[in-house]
Amino acid sequence: MDNILTIVGMQKSFGKSLLYSLPMFLISFMFLTGGRPDFSNPASGIALMVVFLFVNLLYFLMHYTGKTDRFRAVLFIIFALSLSYTLIHNMLEVRKSMSFNQADILECKIPFCHLVIPMMLLPAAFTKSIIFPGSIIGGFANISAMVVLWLGATLVLGRGFCSWGCFYGGWDDGFSRVRKRRAIKQISDLWKWMPFAVLLMVMLTAALSLTPTYCSWICPFKAVTEFEQVTSVESATKAGIFLSLFGGLVVVLPVMTRKRTQCSFLCPLGAISSLSNKITPFTVKIDKTACTECYKCVEVCPLFALSKEGIKEGEVSLFCSKCGKCIDACPKKAIHYGIRGIPAGTMKNFSRNLFLFVSFLFMAVFSSGPIINTLQGVLKLIF
Amino acid sequence: MKRVKIVAGLLWAFIGLIVIIILFPGLNSFSSSLSRAPFMKLNPRYTGGAVSKQLISERCTLDVRVPVFNGFLKERNTGFVQLDWRGTLPDKICDSIDYDEDGVKDFCIAIDRTEMKTTFESYNVQAKNIIISTPTSYGWAVRIGLLKVPKSKLP
Repeated sequence: MDNILTIVGMQKSFGKSLLYSLPMFLISFMFLTGGRPDFSNPASGIALMVVFLFVNLLYFLMHYTGKTDRFRAVLFIIFALSLSYTLIHNMLEVRKSMSFNQADILECKIPFCHLVIPMMLLPAAFTKSIIFPGSIIGGFANISAMVVLWLGATLVLGRGFCSWGCFYGGWDDGFSRVRKRRAIKQISDLWKWMPFAVLLMVMLTAALSLTPTYCSWICPFKAVTEFEQVTSVESATKAGIFLSLFGGLVVVLPVMTRKRTQCSFLCPLGAISSLSNKITPFTVKIDKTACTECYKCVEVCPLFALSKEGIKEGEVSLFCSKCGKCIDACPKKAIHYGIRGIPAGTMKNFSRNLFLFVSFLFMAVFSSGPIINTLQGVLKLIF
Repeated sequence: MKRVKIVAGLLWAFIGLIVIIILFPGLNSFSSSLSRAPFMKLNPRYTGGAVSKQLISERCTLDVRVPVFNGFLKERNTGFVQLDWRGTLPDKICDSIDYDEDGVKDFCIAIDRTEMKTTFESYNVQAKNIIISTPTSYGWAVRIGLLKVPKSKLP
């Protein structure tokens, strides 16, 4: 009887799914429109309504089908693409180029992204200052707003930020889904500790040089956002590193391994977010009584968060980004979203509903701006 | 104990729900509070440092900034001084600067804006070279590399 109950999926009837989607519908409407949709500019009004309906359709489908990852990934990938489009479009309009020059640095006009946060910590503590040429408050992508958003999301979602909030993660998540089968099957999961080494290295080098070294030298996403104008051997070397790392870790390896290799092997912010997984209210739990140890979850996990030993112990590692891929793959529904303190195998539906509401609301509101901008751009091209 | 854990977990989850719900509507307020924190100011290596004196001419002003030598735990031996010309600039700029305010000119800087060429002549062993010379949205900015030399070793 217990087994029969656990095999029953998380899918709901059409009416019940609608009912569960209603709070998201209302609250996302309020957040996206401020309660008063503005149709004075038809392109922006249409883009807003299309994005609002699309986002809510995805949320409805999560409830109706009981599947999480496939609908999360759709929005997550679109978020990454549209954020890059918005940034590049903004830079081409303002600077006529994807690169920034010395004047932009001197005038502190560089948009801030959350990947700088690990490098800010030591200088902020010891020099009482921020080592980034951006805007503290006001203007596009200011430092205070990004830090608040990241802090809030990390406190609640932990490393879930990497699958529900990071506007770069969708790139390697997308490429990891291109092939049906893995071309490279054996990867030592020791590599998953690499981000901690990168974190230590960039924190120390950034503190000693008072420059955000990860952004200056390593960040693969410079290839799809902005980078230093190539005017010297040094800046050409940096551009080469950005493109190589993007090609290798964000495109080729995810395609070959079906894993998010940039997030797993390089991202220093992912390392910090992993540590926050220890305190967040939402977790992924394994019901050992229902688990048949088929290890499908280990195979599909894009971040090396699950291991055979861990499954036997009923433990999910701190690398888990709560993407839901393992939950969708489990034939016995033994792995599920849970709430800290509540035993595995109990209150599965309640925990999932609450987690989905919180995480999806964050992603829907955070992603809606860039997606609306992108859609507006597409509409302007067509009409 | 088990019941206490469950109640605490649920409470923590509902706090999480509230945090996410108020995060976006309260973003402006939260971020402006954070921006007032003592560590939330840009490092002088990026801002160029505070303005130490302003030289005003007919159509433009020249801001000479405080020399920046700051490092992580202590000051460095190398640094820079930033000069900002603002307003309607002539095609050719030539200024002699006393950046350390000892009454003696330390270097002369000449900028040809049409040729985008900057020349630098040092009168002080501590003023080394041009690090940056670039047009900006407000006019022109130059950073001159400085070297700290102990007073005993100065000529």
